[in-house]
Amino acid sequence: MESLKSNPKVTQSPLFKFLMLEFICMLLMIADKNNQLAQPIRNTLSLAAIPLIKIIEWPQQLYQITELAVSRQAQLIQENNLLKEQLLEAELKLQQNVSMAEENRRLRTMLGASENSPLTTSVAFVSNINQSQKKQHVVIDQGSADGLFIGQAVLNLDGVIGQVDVLGQHFAHVILVTDTTHAIPIEVLRTGLRTIAYGAGTELALTEVPTSADLQVGDVLVTSGFGNRFPRGLKLATINSMAVSQDRTFQTAQAQPFAQLDRLTEVFLVWPDQPVTSDE
Amino acid sequence: MNKATRPALVLHLSLLCATLLNLFPWPAPMLSFQPHWVALMIAYWSLYANNSRIMYVAFGYGLLMDVLMGSLLGKHGMSLVALSFLVTKSAKQLRMTSFWQLLLMVLVWLFNDIVIRATIDWLSFRHKPALVDLLPLVTAALIWPWLKYLVDRIQLSYRRS
Repeated sequence: MESLKSNPKVTQSPLFKFLMLEFICMLLMIADKNNQLAQPIRNTLSLAAIPLIKIIEWPQQLYQITELAVSRQAQLIQENNLLKEQLLEAELKLQQNVSMAEENRRLRTMLGASENSPLTTSVAFVSNINQSQKKQHVVIDQGSADGLFIGQAVLNLDGVIGQVDVLGQHFAHVILVTDTTHAIPIEVLRTGLRTIAYGAGTELALTEVPTSADLQVGDVLVTSGFGNRFPRGLKLATINSMAVSQDRTFQTAQAQPFAQLDRLTEVFLVWPDQPVTSDE
Repeated sequence: MNKATRPALVLHLSLLCATLLNLFPWPAPMLSFQPHWVALMIAYWSLYANNSRIMYVAFGYGLLMDVLMGSLLGKHGMSLVALSFLVTKSAKQLRMTSFWQLLLMVLVWLFNDIVIRATIDWLSFRHKPALVDLLPLVTAALIWPWLKYLVDRIQLSYRRS
């Protein structure tokens, strides 16, 4: 260090600056990749990023407001009626479900099985921001300040869409289930077969199904709750094509997610009710 | 406003605009052609900066991009600092070269930038690089002359006033 200070030309040279900055970047990447050591730095920087996100969002919000103001009253009434009908249908289904849930609870107590606790959710809105990355990310408008955590399950009304991947103070990046680095433990609703669904760009791929297993096109996949990331029994995807792997050891299947992942507007964040007990 | 802060103001305003352009949700068919605006801007300013302090600016905006894109902290920082270093090292000679040579050099720098980011992606998450990643170079080649002309004019008008 002494020699560096005594020789200011070295510390002033572009090469020295270059090496120093690249070294810092390298340290940051390693810290970030391994165990979230860089989270405080990310949180601080994310405060600077919020105005930029707001500037991008503002014209879109303005457009929505004008659209609402300009749209005709008749159209709004029509939409209102449609929504009322949908609400009625939903309530009818709910009534049936109430009795079924009660029955289910009684059966579970008879069997001595643990009860499925209802999910606690909160709503977040998706910011329409371009992500020029290989990862399939969407940005939502809640962050660690709202109590989000990494690995939190994110749903849509149609089904599971992903989990929280990168956290900022007031926004978060959600990785989609179709990302090639994403894997989700699933269960086939019809047979109870458990396996893992890997992201494959625009759909999901099941690559580890035994050839003897019963699997059909049209089967519904739900989350199995293994790994304690995603709660059990959330709708995920439906199988749309099947094949046998090249070395004929496994069945492979492609599944289409229920949620339209390229057209997300609002998402639900799932909160675990109580801290997960150590080993169940 | 004194003379020292003015160029800095232009620098940061242009870089913030470039960041916004990067964030702007273009329609899907255009997305794969979207140039890395911040890298273009950093290349421009490194070419005309008189000292290597621009590398700190590149580092800062790189980290900002990382936070916005949700990438590994330091990924964009690393590629932008490398870009800035390559440009500043030979800025004096490059300012003298012809239009086409400079354009070619810009493409080489941007290619280098893409390669660094693809390498980091591959090392960290095993994302496979694809030929589609090189499409932004085409648009960057089309945009660079206009961008250079535009910012040159803005700088000139600031100097005259």
